[in-house]
Amino acid sequence: MTVNSEPEALLSHLQNADGSATFSFSGYTVVGAVNGPIEVQRRDELPEEAAVDVIVRPAAGVGGTRERHLESLIQSTLRQIILVDNFPRTLIQIILQVTTTPENEYVNAKVAQATSNLPILPALLQTAVLSLLSAALPLTATLTSTSLAVVADGQSKKVVLNPSPREIETSQSFHVFSFTSHDELILAESEGSFTVKEWDEAFSVAQRQCCPPTNTDDGDTLMDDGSLPGANLKQFIRSTLEGKIASDLHWK
Amino acid sequence: MATSNSLTLSSATFAKLSPHPFLLANLQPSDPSTPSSRTNGRQPRQARPYSVNNSSLSHAHGSAVVRSGDTTVICGVRGETLLTSQIPNYRAPQADNIAIGDELRDYDLLVPNVELATGCAPNFLPGVPPTTLAQTLSTRLFSLLHSSKFLTAEDLRIYHDGAGTQGEGDTEEEGFGETTREVKAYWVLYIDVLFVSFDGNPFDVAWAAIIAALRDTKLPHAYWDVDRELVLCKRPTEKEPRPLSMRGLPVACTAAVFTARERQKKGSGQYWILVDPDRLEESLCNETVTMVVDNTEGETKVLTISKSGGTVVGPALMREFANVAATRWNEFRSALQ
Repeated sequence: MTVNSEPEALLSHLQNADGSATFSFSGYTVVGAVNGPIEVQRRDELPEEAAVDVIVRPAAGVGGTRERHLESLIQSTLRQIILVDNFPRTLIQIILQVTTTPENEYVNAKVAQATSNLPILPALLQTAVLSLLSAALPLTATLTSTSLAVVADGQSKKVVLNPSPREIETSQSFHVFSFTSHDELILAESEGSFTVKEWDEAFSVAQRQCCPPTNTDDGDTLMDDGSLPGANLKQFIRSTLEGKIASDLHWK
Repeated sequence: MATSNSLTLSSATFAKLSPHPFLLANLQPSDPSTPSSRTNGRQPRQARPYSVNNSSLSHAHGSAVVRSGDTTVICGVRGETLLTSQIPNYRAPQADNIAIGDELRDYDLLVPNVELATGCAPNFLPGVPPTTLAQTLSTRLFSLLHSSKFLTAEDLRIYHDGAGTQGEGDTEEEGFGETTREVKAYWVLYIDVLFVSFDGNPFDVAWAAIIAALRDTKLPHAYWDVDRELVLCKRPTEKEPRPLSMRGLPVACTAAVFTARERQKKGSGQYWILVDPDRLEESLCNETVTMVVDNTEGETKVLTISKSGGTVVGPALMREFANVAATRWNEFRSALQ
């Protein structure tokens, strides 16, 4: 099985949604669509801010309790970065459809509830942010999200970035971290068995990954990405949007 | 007098009209002589004490009622047998190959369910499909049951000795390497969690109830009857039901972060970490942190960290919170005994 190690994205490719994006990274592909601000149902209406509604659809089957869990995590995270105060009594709806998930070649996984909920979370968050940017909704910050596993390597332990399903299964602990573009930790989900010290190590690896030193304000100076072990997602979001804007303004 | 009376609000009215300023005024009293406390009278880091009552249900294999403040949860564990011949794609477990998969997960041997629509709080209407909160809770409990590896598949296997007399040597290790012994059936544990009353912090109390109920669970001695091709259980008088073996004692601890600014904040505002939030506090806080810890081996072992909804808690606060969770672990362990 080939897993693309470079993130790929396609922006504003759905005609009828306000904003849309397809994002694929480390075996996951997610299509996201954003509509908003739109009219809200009376019972969901909030008098002073916009209601944020997230719908996650799995690659196979219908959504179950696992999708509700992911939705509630994504909803509470996105509510923090969308300027909900600007759109009182409206709804911002985010639909995330998973299209590809990496296969675990060691087990014949069942469709429902067989594996952990967390590995898909970074891809979902990343797609949601790209769709929101494509919908031109005002945000306080963008997000970068990464997953890592702590794997026993003989006596010592090593941290694997963007682990494969097999690595997650054999790992001792699995972590998902999300940082805002102001380098603040906004979401942390970990499971397995670990010490606070190990969590700290995982945290600092994730922080290096998600919050690279930002001397990139003037566009294309940061070319020495070789020091980073994985893809620079912050830079990726920026360059994807720059490319999109450049092609949109090509007629000028 | 009449005017001052009509302008003065009782604290209950104040709490209903504007809950956020009410909690803020309690935490940050204008009069410095008044001690800062939460609306429920607790200190920010003070949790409600647990009380545990075991074996409350007569027809379950194990049950427990756990109460923490006004949140009361009853959990019942009931075992049912599942024949391996009825499992699709069944693969017999091999002693040497652990990596092949997790039987508990593959065959769904643990079935937790959370019921919130019992009239436990005004915002959960009875007779409606499970709310998002109920579904989220049952997923989190399900994945914690598996990721903590609290139970072992060995306890839930029902063996049959091919050559020897049935029903012998099933708790002993002997015969494991021999080929004559085979797994004929499994126990499936239905773990039902019912909220009797709900006053915030559902996850901690539900998990505590599950732990207490599983510790109370005693499964009858089951054996494979060759002639009838059935799993039969011995009477408790004939052979004592055996308890499950458990790995450690994971305890959950949740805190909510209350910020002084009600609307979206810019820059840093003042905040309070409210351990074990009640229903009012939960409705006012966006950010929550949950940590599941196990101190049985001396050193604090973390099993789950879940933090979402805000940017206040960073690594430094998380380390501090691990100590709070460790004290909560001690409280729960003493409540169990």
